[in-house]
Amino acid sequence: MFGFGYGEGFPDHSIASVEPAGEGRILIRTSAADVGQGVQTVAVQIASEVLKLDPEHFEIVEGDTHTTQNAGSSSATRQTYFTGHAVKEAAEDLLGNIYHYASQEFTTNHPEMGTRDGRIFSHVNSDDEMTIWELKDRLANRGIELKGRGTFFPRTYKPDPETGQSEKVYVGYSYHTQVVEVVVDTVTGQVTVEKAYSAIDAGKAINPAGVEGQVEGGTAQGLGMALMEEQIIEEGRTLNPDMSRYLVPTAVDVPEVETVIVENEDTDGPFGAKGIGEPAMIATAPAIINAIYDAIGVRFYQLPVTPEKIKAALEQN
Amino acid sequence: MKNSQRNVSSRPKASGSDFEAEKENTQELGREVPVGSADYLAPETLNKALEYRSRYGYKAVVIAGGTDVMVDYFEGLTEVSSWLDLTKIAALKEMKFGPEEIRLGSMVTHLKLATDPRVGENLPLLAEAASEMGSWQIQSRGTLGGNIVTSSPAGDTLAPLLAYQARFVLGSVSGQREVAAEDFFTGPKENVMNQDELLLEVMIPVSRERTLSRWKKVGKRKAVIISSLTMALLLELDEKDVITGARAAYGAVAPTPLRAEEVENYLAGKSLSEVSAERAGELAAREISPITDIRGTVAYRRQVTRDITVEALLDMQQG
Repeated sequence: MFGFGYGEGFPDHSIASVEPAGEGRILIRTSAADVGQGVQTVAVQIASEVLKLDPEHFEIVEGDTHTTQNAGSSSATRQTYFTGHAVKEAAEDLLGNIYHYASQEFTTNHPEMGTRDGRIFSHVNSDDEMTIWELKDRLANRGIELKGRGTFFPRTYKPDPETGQSEKVYVGYSYHTQVVEVVVDTVTGQVTVEKAYSAIDAGKAINPAGVEGQVEGGTAQGLGMALMEEQIIEEGRTLNPDMSRYLVPTAVDVPEVETVIVENEDTDGPFGAKGIGEPAMIATAPAIINAIYDAIGVRFYQLPVTPEKIKAALEQN
Repeated sequence: MKNSQRNVSSRPKASGSDFEAEKENTQELGREVPVGSADYLAPETLNKALEYRSRYGYKAVVIAGGTDVMVDYFEGLTEVSSWLDLTKIAALKEMKFGPEEIRLGSMVTHLKLATDPRVGENLPLLAEAASEMGSWQIQSRGTLGGNIVTSSPAGDTLAPLLAYQARFVLGSVSGQREVAAEDFFTGPKENVMNQDELLLEVMIPVSRERTLSRWKKVGKRKAVIISSLTMALLLELDEKDVITGARAAYGAVAPTPLRAEEVENYLAGKSLSEVSAERAGELAAREISPITDIRGTVAYRRQVTRDITVEALLDMQQG
């Protein structure tokens, strides 16, 4: 289990806007940093879903203090939840404005019109039809800017300093279980992780391939934590300050990962989505250590479990 | 290929990017290399390379695949004024499989060793060691000669070369000499080469006996890893399965790659089936002189040297 977002009374929030630009283009402004986890893809998918418009129409305006507002950090497993929410609200705000101004243009009531694929149409008079971008130009002539703006700013609760308890310490909780198969070479002490099986509760997978990618990356990191990653310090000097000596797994060290996505919508995330970035890695090291115990009957309490530690333990037995 | 003997003549710092083209005027060869000169020398013939080597000595760092020297260079461990690049010399990339001996050019890549079926058939220890070296990228660039001249005790091809009783052909403008692999390495990253010499080729005698061999690389992950230890074990057997020759070579367990003579003496003359694998393993563990470093402790290296030796012999006994 992993509580995500800053929580704990921290003023955690994300602000986004969605606005039609030149013909056929919609800009999503968000400073959510995409460090490879795919938050920009998620933002486009969400806006696309709300506005019933294909993803290729959308462009992201990335973090820039002149042109975007705060989206918070890409950390604490929070961007899909916070920025996904802000983008959803911004897209909904834009959709509301499209209905508001287009109904004025069509002189219809709001329920008597619709929008799809960038077209806005009246159910009353089939001649009444325009694109989002035509509406934008018409409004510009009237000095009105067509855009949507969204902020997600949930209340968070400070924990009691004595008990650590609060109404809700984090904004949501994700769950991940993992089973790994390992082979321990008793001659060399080397551990090979042959296969990993994951079940992760993502609330709602906005991008299932992205969820699988996070689980695979998390498994690689967890494997490194369990078996390799170790800063070796001697008399205040780090002996392995580079990637040739501070070891992380290579592609051939990482097992195939079979991922089952569980969609348990128990938070108020966008479409029920929860954060899974850090939860993707927390199960791996304990699973590997348990599997080593199952294989050779030795319980390790200190990471990483290097070939030397395994060999030394086997020598003692 | 880097020559890393100490006591090198002082190397002026590189003066920027003013690499000179290869000079055709051979009269210059007798002259002193000017202070501050930074030349990129890429001769196409061996004679030219040896002339440059004679003239520049340690003032030009010899580069083959670059997988060792470039790491040192980028980390600022090697101050380079001039480079002597051997990649254009076709003669150094040849492999000859004769009835008496196999000759491998110093510029043959690990990829070539790992994939050429003639190497796999005749020199399986070397083919396997090359196939587990570094990464595919390193195997594609790195060369046999580079691995030898860098002379790291952990160099992956070195134990196999010792097991095959390889001889190294060193050349200079004044001629050639041969050095046996076991006499070549003098310490960690140190060898017997002189500053006017280049490693030209590796000669391996063809064994007439039936041979069994086992290679083992032990490292802390499956790729891009400097070995914690290596083993190349080779037995020559007569028609009655009596061991007529035994070579047990280990890497990363002593200041140089080494042959464990006690193990070899114990094995030689015995029938393979009556050999005690455990005894041989104990002898190997005793004969090495490992250190504790980030790739392994002394205890680990002794235990694993013992156990991979035992495992290899048991495996050979089971055929």
